[in-house]
Amino acid sequence: MEHLTAESLARLVDEPADAAEQAHLEECEACTAELAVMRGQTEALGALPEILPPMGEWDVLEAQLRSEGLIKDPGLVRKLGLARTPAWMPAAASLVLFLGGAAAGAGVTAHRTGEGSTVAESTTVEDAASAVRVAEDHYVTAVSHYRELMERDGVDDTMTDPISRYAALEHLVSVSQAAVRQAPGDPFLNGFLASALAERDAAARMVSVSGRENWF
Amino acid sequence: MRDASAGQTERQLIRLAADGDLRAIRTLYDRYAPRVYAVVRRIAADDDLAQDYAQEAWIRAIRALPTFRGDARFSTWLHRIAVNAALQALRKMETRAKREGPAPDDVPVAPVHSDSLLQIKLERALDELPEGMRQVLILHDVEGYTHEEIGDVLGVTSGTSKSQLFKARAKMRALLGDLAQDAQEDGAEAWSI
Repeated sequence: MEHLTAESLARLVDEPADAAEQAHLEECEACTAELAVMRGQTEALGALPEILPPMGEWDVLEAQLRSEGLIKDPGLVRKLGLARTPAWMPAAASLVLFLGGAAAGAGVTAHRTGEGSTVAESTTVEDAASAVRVAEDHYVTAVSHYRELMERDGVDDTMTDPISRYAALEHLVSVSQAAVRQAPGDPFLNGFLASALAERDAAARMVSVSGRENWF
Repeated sequence: MRDASAGQTERQLIRLAADGDLRAIRTLYDRYAPRVYAVVRRIAADDDLAQDYAQEAWIRAIRALPTFRGDARFSTWLHRIAVNAALQALRKMETRAKREGPAPDDVPVAPVHSDSLLQIKLERALDELPEGMRQVLILHDVEGYTHEEIGDVLGVTSGTSKSQLFKARAKMRALLGDLAQDAQEDGAEAWSI
């Protein structure tokens, strides 16, 4: 009796047997067993897991993305458009509070309740990773919400009234300072405050240059 | 409900990442890097090459994000980019190798991130397959591509894809001979991962 070839059995994993093959399989235990093994092999291949990339791959990738200009990170204040116009002030203040409470708060203040575990409260790597994921989602939602507000309000990028801009930034600085007082060790909030201070000082210089010294 | 909010979050992420938002890009990377790395690693059959291909795939994807319209799932779109990046890089390397002469035979077997003996054997057997067979087998049996999709990606007919697949399965069966024998003795359970 001539057995089915390995390639024929490989085909029968996911294609129907013809009459001759079917007749052979009904009589030949060896070929039937071999077909079962081939099917098992195929199923096992389909169940192979994902593979974690090597440590440090992200760092290399980030450097490459930056070198190609694919990461635009001009500083949080400017990125969020907080320095552009006083029409932003309410949204900016809300956003600072939101970010301080959600994104950064998950990692540092760690006293929020009702939203699952936080990084500081986590006792396992998995819990900590989950908390970071939640914080990421909050961040994305907050920034998206901010953009929606920007678009809804029809912001004019050409509006550069230095006095109004300074007033908005002054408010932002005071809100940021309050957040830093609550979490003095938080790098996110400290960075945010530093950016806000730098933007405010730049706006102050603009006010001075425009010949309106001592307006305040 | 959970799926809907997750989808919304991903759309937001993609939009932010397309604008160059570092955290959004990092979040997408964390979410999909294992899948991208797995497919390029299996196509490359080499750890060092896989790292290069994965980097290339991500750069291509981030560069192309502004053109992503959401017609396909993001994971599918990204996966296709990764496959194409790996295949194109392999072709370039082969062209260069042909010009420069034969490569050494003793390519080290890469460590596999798995604690399963079966997974390790499967990964090593995949590495040993001839390249054309390996590509078709990975795309069909591991990644679930159809023969028509494989034909598009590899530039071959679906008939050629089928033929290569059956040869690849048979070759895998031979490479895994000992393991398959164990499976026969222990029943189908031995194949479960």
